[in-house]
Amino acid sequence: MEDRVFSSVHSTVFKESESLEGKCDKIQGYDFNQGVNYPKLMRSMLTTGFQASNLGEAIDVVNQMLDWRLADETIVSEDCSAEEKDPSYRESVKCKIFLGFTSNLVSSGVRDTIRYLVQHHMVDVIVTTTGGVEEDLIKCLAPTFKGDFSLPGAYLRSKGLNRIGNLLVPNDNYCKFEDWIIPIFDEMLKEQKEENVLWTPSKLLARLGKEINNESSYLYWAYKMNIPVFCPGLTDGSLGDMLYFHSFRTSGLIIDVVQDIRAMNGEAVHATPRKTGMIILGGGLPKHHICNANMMRNGADYAVFINTGQEFDGSDSGARPDEAVSWGKIRGSAKTVKVYCDATIAFPLLVAETFATKRDQTCESKT
Amino acid sequence: MSDEEHHFESSDAGASKTYPQQAGTIRKNGYIVIKGRPCKVVEVSTSKTGKHGHAKCHFVAIDIFTSKKLEDIVPSSHNCDVPHVNRTDYQLIDISEDGYVSLLTDNGSTKDDLKLPTDDTLLQQIKSGFDDGKDLVVSVMSAMGEEQINALKDIGPK
Repeated sequence: MEDRVFSSVHSTVFKESESLEGKCDKIQGYDFNQGVNYPKLMRSMLTTGFQASNLGEAIDVVNQMLDWRLADETIVSEDCSAEEKDPSYRESVKCKIFLGFTSNLVSSGVRDTIRYLVQHHMVDVIVTTTGGVEEDLIKCLAPTFKGDFSLPGAYLRSKGLNRIGNLLVPNDNYCKFEDWIIPIFDEMLKEQKEENVLWTPSKLLARLGKEINNESSYLYWAYKMNIPVFCPGLTDGSLGDMLYFHSFRTSGLIIDVVQDIRAMNGEAVHATPRKTGMIILGGGLPKHHICNANMMRNGADYAVFINTGQEFDGSDSGARPDEAVSWGKIRGSAKTVKVYCDATIAFPLLVAETFATKRDQTCESKT
Repeated sequence: MSDEEHHFESSDAGASKTYPQQAGTIRKNGYIVIKGRPCKVVEVSTSKTGKHGHAKCHFVAIDIFTSKKLEDIVPSSHNCDVPHVNRTDYQLIDISEDGYVSLLTDNGSTKDDLKLPTDDTLLQQIKSGFDDGKDLVVSVMSAMGEEQINALKDIGPK
């Protein structure tokens, strides 16, 4: 009798499991007995579990983005041009990459990672917030410093220091920014009146990239590489404050957002036959703006989200790629990953294992 | 605030029309030039140095001649133009048919280049006071080459 109870309990607790051998990867972390080998350490992330695995998958997806060529698509549609059928042309057609990020990341050292990508034309379109632009420009005029999350607000205010997380930006930096940018707005207004230039946020940013003329700025490289930087919320930041004050001194500067939405959506719509990939750091405006543009082409083919947002509140910032699939912003067949991690950790590591490695390999093979 | 906006219309080379003053020192009920117009300040608020850059003064002011509300934002360390505003009293001698007034100056001569004010209340007070035969003294405000009757004093019945 006891045996029967025992065996029934035994079979409940030790329910026979399906074998995962061969179907799933085994969990295996990095063995430091091999020594400190960073590339191997990075590759071990895929099998370490939790967000390390997600980061590992994100690295895979980005590498797929970078490796894809139109030549990989064996099905050639009938209505494509002769040029599109040419094999060497098909070898040259790569994925179009949209990079989006929020302002706090530009205040942080991730700005330098972004600058590397733009400098070497590794991304095709950038979308960011106003802070994402001005923090980059201000760093060329004066530095941002490391502080602490716990510094008291009232004390910092009395010292004229602004806190961004555990970073500090002195008020004086913004004064320098004002002194630098107001004459540029005067010039732009003059060109608007005399040469009928119609300014848009992306044109303004290209101009600012030209004016800052500093190799540490990603905006400078975006201007040099002709990579459009879209910022539909241009007024929401210090730059917007500058536009506000400038309008009292000399009014009349007009900035057209309609032209820019045509351009942004056009980047997605006219990307075909290229595939499109999205790498989005953080949430908010950049995340939605890029996904929305890709909706115009029935969805992106690759998506990597790195953010700390949660979906339980229904926010778009916290939404997983699968939610975007329901909107048609990402294709059902797309390769997607969301890494729940602060981008200051995840993004430099991601770039190390993708863009930077490939570039080093290409440079080595050329020498 | 750029100096190029001002046009000094008057030909007399004597007194200057405006003088510079630091924006941070201009107070309520003071005077300020906004978009070339002399104005009386009704509101000043200062925003301290911050994300928007240098500390700034936000002025809301009324044009002293047209009574229009104008506003301006100026960095508090910058200089603004402040108009010289003069107020002179003249005795009203006559009102002509085309709306010009004849005023008695201190030295006994007449000043005939001023029109009646556009403000309805003041206009009515002057007209009815004059028609009643009262001795009227008008207060003329002048700034930046413009003049206007802006107040009425009644010395008493004839």
